[in-house]
Amino acid sequence: MASAAGDRLNVVPSRMTLTQIKGRLAGANKGHSMLKKKSDALTVRLRSILKQVLEKKNLTGDVCREALISLAVAKYIVGEDFKLHIMENVDKSSLKVSFHSENIAGVTIPVFEKVSVDDDGTEYYGESVKDISGNGVSKEISEGLSNKFHSYVSLSGLSKGGQQIATCGENFRKAADTLISLAELQTSFTLLDEAVKITNRRVNALENVVIPRLENTVAYIISELDELEREEFFRLKLVQNWKERESKNAQQLREQLERTRQGFSSFEMDSYETKERLVEGLASNDDSDIIF
Amino acid sequence: MEDIRDLIGFNVDDGYIEALVRGYKSSLLSSVDYVNLTQCETLEDVRMHLNGTEYSVVLQDEPSPLTASIIAEKCSVKLVSDFQYIRSQSTNPLTKFLDYLTYPYMIDNLVLLVTGTLHERDIGELLEKCNTLGSFPAMSTLSIVSTPEELYREILVDTPLAPYFAECVSFDDLTETNIEIIRNILYKAYLEDFYQFCCSLGGTTEKIMCEILQFEADRRIINITLNSLGSKLSREARENLYPSIGSLVPEGTLKLSRAEDVQSVNSVLESYDLFRRLLQYSTDSPGKSLEDSFIEYEVQLSKKTFEQQFHYGVFYGFLKLREQEIRNILWICECISQRHRTGIGNYVTIF
Amino acid sequence: MQSQTKTKRTKLLSVIGDEDTVCGFLLAGIGEVNQHKESNYFVVKKDTPVSAIEETFKRFTSSEDIAVVIINQHVAEKIRDLVYSYRAPIPAVLEIPSKDQPYDLSQDSTVKRVRQMLGLGA
Repeated sequence: MASAAGDRLNVVPSRMTLTQIKGRLAGANKGHSMLKKKSDALTVRLRSILKQVLEKKNLTGDVCREALISLAVAKYIVGEDFKLHIMENVDKSSLKVSFHSENIAGVTIPVFEKVSVDDDGTEYYGESVKDISGNGVSKEISEGLSNKFHSYVSLSGLSKGGQQIATCGENFRKAADTLISLAELQTSFTLLDEAVKITNRRVNALENVVIPRLENTVAYIISELDELEREEFFRLKLVQNWKERESKNAQQLREQLERTRQGFSSFEMDSYETKERLVEGLASNDDSDIIF
Repeated sequence: MEDIRDLIGFNVDDGYIEALVRGYKSSLLSSVDYVNLTQCETLEDVRMHLNGTEYSVVLQDEPSPLTASIIAEKCSVKLVSDFQYIRSQSTNPLTKFLDYLTYPYMIDNLVLLVTGTLHERDIGELLEKCNTLGSFPAMSTLSIVSTPEELYREILVDTPLAPYFAECVSFDDLTETNIEIIRNILYKAYLEDFYQFCCSLGGTTEKIMCEILQFEADRRIINITLNSLGSKLSREARENLYPSIGSLVPEGTLKLSRAEDVQSVNSVLESYDLFRRLLQYSTDSPGKSLEDSFIEYEVQLSKKTFEQQFHYGVFYGFLKLREQEIRNILWICECISQRHRTGIGNYVTIF
Repeated sequence: MQSQTKTKRTKLLSVIGDEDTVCGFLLAGIGEVNQHKESNYFVVKKDTPVSAIEETFKRFTSSEDIAVVIINQHVAEKIRDLVYSYRAPIPAVLEIPSKDQPYDLSQDSTVKRVRQMLGLGA
């Protein structure tokens, strides 16, 4: 605040500019409070996501460990070599991700969705990933479908360890599900984090730069206008004083003239002098008007 | 009668090698070794313990950090070198018998290479991954092959597997059929051929090997049935993969080919004493699948081969036991590196 | 306040990691090899040079078709600077434990940032 004390917009101080600047100040204040609210809303959301990210991260550790152990079981039953066959058989992916976006306080956040693709290239949109664990129906569907996919996988280990390989595949699919939902959270986290930062930057800019500057400008214009007003007042006062004095003088003169007229017959010379002075005073009166 | 013939003639050609194999057998890890291994905290500890065994040679020069895969790989190297030594000492028909033992690996390698060519992968890279036991001379020239057609014409016809291909897989199938089906058809043909060969050897070898191979066939039949439940594999296709030997043939296979769920498979198996026991065992012991009980039974069979003398079954038994040992080591190493303490005891103790 | 718009574009998951991790996820069906024989998975072996990992990481993170990059923590450790400086929302980079190494959550680049924000210490 202090640093911006002398900072103001470079404007001509007038009543019109004052109205304009005051309008801008009101706008800035309104924007500030709204952005502040947005930032708060985003922060709340971000915090809840942060917690979920940490939870999911912990969960991922467990899920992956379980999947890797089931892989070890398969390796024990089938032998190390089956991995090679899996790797050489890769062709088209049967587990993909699709997006749709969700809007949180003006920030677009993608929602990931698992897509299973069968041999014919038909895509089955799974439930949004986060629903799967809680939703019994969709789980059944996904289990029913899982047999249709990966024909090459489901047949590997046909004569030995097929079940172990299938279990392993199932566990890794679970791991993939968890990872997809984690990816969603992480993406939201990154986007929200960015959004919060931008919003906070704007809030701070408004609070510390724009608003003080406008306030300073308003204060400056007001003080300038006040100054003008005071000068005007002083001038008027001066004129008034002068006029009063002059009218008083004129009165005295008139009275003198009256008195002189009454005693004119006796003091002819006096009357002549007074008349001359009166003419002089009127002339100077004219002059002062012109000067002022 | 035949046993006597064995006694007279066996040692002339095969006595030394049998002794050799029995020597190898006695160096298999004991249950004490396994207990020690399961106590290990890190893979370095495992290496230390294995240094006291026959695996010391292959492991001691391996730079750290070790992984479970590396240890298993090195142990396999030892197995391969032992096996190749035995084979180089042998004369026919034992050489032929030992060759038969390598065919399954050859099938695996071929299937891997065919898959690779179908997906246009770098063959050179694949060759490194192939199991050395199943290598065949033409393998190194595979890099010139670019299509499955050429693969068949240039390479396969020269391998011992060619007849299996000729019998069961037409050339068109190479591109169209699922590679796993081809593998199983090949294996089926191999199993039947090996069975015939063992029968022709006669004597104790026939007796012991036929029991083992029949069990192997049964196990395949059951596994194929169980694993194809709910898959796209049709009934006919499934039946087509069943070997024509084994105790389940013909009645059991017919019923199994019709089975639609696990219950019906189990009810078929109930009528066979052996499989009822194995099923019972897998349901009684928690954490064990039918596959586990098969493995344990195979170990028992393999151990039994050493109870008699003057036959070739010991070579088969030795190979299987060593393989199981490597799988045990792999499992223990995996458990150690993943800190999965609860399941570490799920290996099969051999002796 | 909330509106939903559906875009029917599907993207891939990709994975950089040791053989077992990659194999597992391939088993789950995420693998794809495109016409140019570029795969969306990368196996890191003991002797894989760091530059190759970096290159793959850059390729995955700049790809239009990839929504999620799954990477083993010990691999991420090798290219930590790159991972930490990567901040774009999509594709999301996820670090997962690998079987040989203990899973240290505090090393995770996202967790680090999260913890900083929650004021739980860096």
